[in-house]
Amino acid sequence: MAREVRVEVLDPGATTAAAQDDGESRQRFLGRVIVAGGALTAGGVLVAGLPRLAESAPPSREQDVHILNFAATLEYLQAAFFTEAEVRGGLSGPTLEFARVVGAHERAHGGLFEHALGRRIRGKPRFDFGDSTADVERFQAAAMLLEDLAVGAYDGQGPNLTREALTVAARIVSVEARHAAWIRTIIGRPPAPRPFDPPQSRQEVLQAVDQTGFLVG
Amino acid sequence: LADAPSTPSAVAGTRRALLAGAGLGAIALAIADDAAAQGGDTEILNFALTLEYLTAAFYTEAAQGGALSGETAEFARVVAGHERAHVDALRNALGGKATAAPRFDFGGATDSMARFLRTAVKLEDLSVFAYKGQAPLVRSDAVLAAALGIHAVEARHAAWIREIAGLPPAPRAYDRALDRTAVVDMVVATGFLAPTPTTTSGQPPLFTG
Repeated sequence: MAREVRVEVLDPGATTAAAQDDGESRQRFLGRVIVAGGALTAGGVLVAGLPRLAESAPPSREQDVHILNFAATLEYLQAAFFTEAEVRGGLSGPTLEFARVVGAHERAHGGLFEHALGRRIRGKPRFDFGDSTADVERFQAAAMLLEDLAVGAYDGQGPNLTREALTVAARIVSVEARHAAWIRTIIGRPPAPRPFDPPQSRQEVLQAVDQTGFLVG
Repeated sequence: LADAPSTPSAVAGTRRALLAGAGLGAIALAIADDAAAQGGDTEILNFALTLEYLTAAFYTEAAQGGALSGETAEFARVVAGHERAHVDALRNALGGKATAAPRFDFGGATDSMARFLRTAVKLEDLSVFAYKGQAPLVRSDAVLAAALGIHAVEARHAAWIREIAGLPPAPRAYDRALDRTAVVDMVVATGFLAPTPTTTSGQPPLFTG
């Protein structure tokens, strides 16, 4: 039921023009990265197509599209990470159960954004998780980081969304917080370390994702 | 990445201060500006405050009683502190418009491990659904930012107590949203709201702002 609402909100009529616009922006962005001599970093992938988006701009449907794409990329990252960890065979017990359940949730979240964004969704990035999906301790540390990060990212972007789009995102943020608490109980860390979960800016999220090295293009 | 979007530091600073629980000054301003003093964000915050009064009182009583042990006792102690912090933050934000704490009677719900666990799971899931129902109705961005920060912590509590109780911490890919009426009905159904002698209308003066 809620899905129809989302499509109505986020798939405005001028999709062709909008897609072209996004394409141009992306080209300009890529051009600048090349000129600057930098590699296409995780941050580049995450913000591709929205180089001029000011995070503090008032909510608009156009901004919703950019932010939900940003959220979709985080969901893709998580989904790929947990799915790979589940099938790779290095996990067992509660950690394996966590990867199995949470992988399914994150895949559902990615699908939700695909549905909501329609033709305006960006493609899936490529990932390289190295040993983090095979080694239990590295998996647990990365899982905690990714889940805490998702909570902060959603909390940080919530006020930038239109209230219609927030209704979509709000259904997900609490589930990410549940995941974060769950993995923390598994590894003996405080599940709820603070009375207020701190929001994270786009820049902080990009830096954190960059540091994982998981996003390769 | 030099041109990548970033949060202006002033905004980031405000949000950070808000969510650090360092007093919700910006929210207080938003409330002062709330033209419809009996509705809107003020009413939503008072609704949230009442839920926080309830959970803070419940966990404080449970933590002070002797029925809990181990991780359950730890949960009650930590979460009681969080809920009291939420109460303080919301009361500060609302200033003179903050609704008074109702009287509670938890019966034997804090007297045994089993009853405490059942109740805590119910209360934390309910808090998650309640904040989720209200968030899109909030007008002020400052209020919304704070509400989201609390919302996520309630979800962490919910997962934590579920794990302790042997229930799935995240049972679904999406959490529900409940509107105010549904939440009030569920709170009333707990029987935790003690009769309030100060009302003459027969209605408990809760959730009215």
